[in-house]
Amino acid sequence: MRAPSLRITTLLRGWSMWQTQHQAAAGSSWRKLKARPLATFLTWLLVALSLGLPASLLLTLNNLSAVTAHFERPPQFSLLLTEATDLNGAVQLKQTLERWPGIASVELIPKEEALTQFSALTGLDALLDSLSRNPLPHTLLVASRNGASDAESASLMQRLKGIEGVARVVLDTLWMTRLEEGLRVASRWVLALGAMMLLATVLALGNTLRLTVIAREDEILVVRLIGGSMAYARRPFLYTGLWYGLGGGVLGAVILWLFCGWLAGPVNALFVLYESQQRLQWPGMHYPLALLGVAVFLSWSTSWLACERHLRQLERH
Amino acid sequence: MIEFDRVSRRYGDQYALRNLNLAIDQGEMAFLTGHSGAGKSTVLKLLLLLDRPSGGEIRVNGDRITGLGGGAVARYRRRFGAVFQDHRLLFDRSVHDNVALPLEIAGFSPRDITRRVRAALDKVGLLGSERADPASLSGGEQQRIGIARAVVARPEFLIADEPTGNLDPQLSSEIMALFEAFNQVGVTVLIATHDMPLICRLRHRIITLSSGSVVAGDPT
Repeated sequence: MRAPSLRITTLLRGWSMWQTQHQAAAGSSWRKLKARPLATFLTWLLVALSLGLPASLLLTLNNLSAVTAHFERPPQFSLLLTEATDLNGAVQLKQTLERWPGIASVELIPKEEALTQFSALTGLDALLDSLSRNPLPHTLLVASRNGASDAESASLMQRLKGIEGVARVVLDTLWMTRLEEGLRVASRWVLALGAMMLLATVLALGNTLRLTVIAREDEILVVRLIGGSMAYARRPFLYTGLWYGLGGGVLGAVILWLFCGWLAGPVNALFVLYESQQRLQWPGMHYPLALLGVAVFLSWSTSWLACERHLRQLERH
Repeated sequence: MIEFDRVSRRYGDQYALRNLNLAIDQGEMAFLTGHSGAGKSTVLKLLLLLDRPSGGEIRVNGDRITGLGGGAVARYRRRFGAVFQDHRLLFDRSVHDNVALPLEIAGFSPRDITRRVRAALDKVGLLGSERADPASLSGGEQQRIGIARAVVARPEFLIADEPTGNLDPQLSSEIMALFEAFNQVGVTVLIATHDMPLICRLRHRIITLSSGSVVAGDPT
């Protein structure tokens, strides 16, 4: 049974040959980058910044979404009554509404109290004193039951609008909806910006790597001439791409952490001021890892593309 | 055995080679000569698959090589050692690393590489310059580095294009003596040159090309 052991020996020899060649290619491309530290660092910075910017925006967005998630509460309507409705009418309306299904509570704010609150909040006492009469109407704050859907809230709002003596209905959660929509716009904006930054990275890296390939054209030609395969000629450039990606990814992760460290103080102080239990979300492990993965994949595939194109051109001449 | 069977190479309307027939035996040493433009370099280029013929067939040890492509081309070229007039050395690495390149490509271990590189440099008389920068060496020494690189992986065939083109007669004789030494250990050697005074003194077949055809020296 010589054949199987022979095959294993061949496989082992192939594996050690593969290992030797890869070690040599990785080592030589690393030494070439180390010989030009400033240029290498600038390329890392390019990768780091163009990936770090979308990553930090995404992190900001995730933080904001986490904040708004805490705002969940049943929609509240403000019913501004007509001027003709007096306090008695308002009390009666309050009692009627309290019996409606779908309504959790009703609070009456008489117009005198509203004026006092308004002047206390704004400090416009002098201006309000100069008015001959109170311009504010009586107001009912109507809270709907928990778990009401958007459609139920909308139909409740229609019914409230139809009540005799109600001038206007204001849905207090409108700003929430607006915020949520705003966040959706922002997240698309971040994605689009991220995609553009990635494309810009590919183009800039592609150009850097293309110049690297051109600078080492002689080497490629000699390697091909003395029997090096395309894979052998390509390998040092793929490792160059890999080093660019690894360095840029690590630097990008560091930048993201610095960004968070810089923001954490004021952001957390803001949360405290709003009496929120929320604190700034740190990038954790998945952000840096994703950043590193994207950076390595992008640089490696970009160098593959740049190399392949140029090698084919050289081959033709 | 290298065989050219009615090989043509046309560039536009111009024929670089026209129905060329040529045979080099295993273990033979032969010179390819003729005026510039006679087709010497084209023969070597076609043999290394750096160019493809417009017609005819090239066989090496009976195998048709004109149809080879992709990875097979690289493997085929590893059977050759090639020496050029302009040396084609890489000046960003040492003499040792230049000579080591074919061994690295062939996948030798670092220990074997060092041993073989030293042996090859010893043969061309440059063992002391292992760590030197090739740019700091003379033209003759650079040519010898090129020869060491061509023979280090012990190829079946050694081909050279004007290897003595820029060298004085003394150095040229030394270089030719090196080629003869490799031929004596069984390597098939084909050298394109127009240095007639030098090659006439050596007892090897001289194949003369003119306008892309063999006019003298081919027994077939």
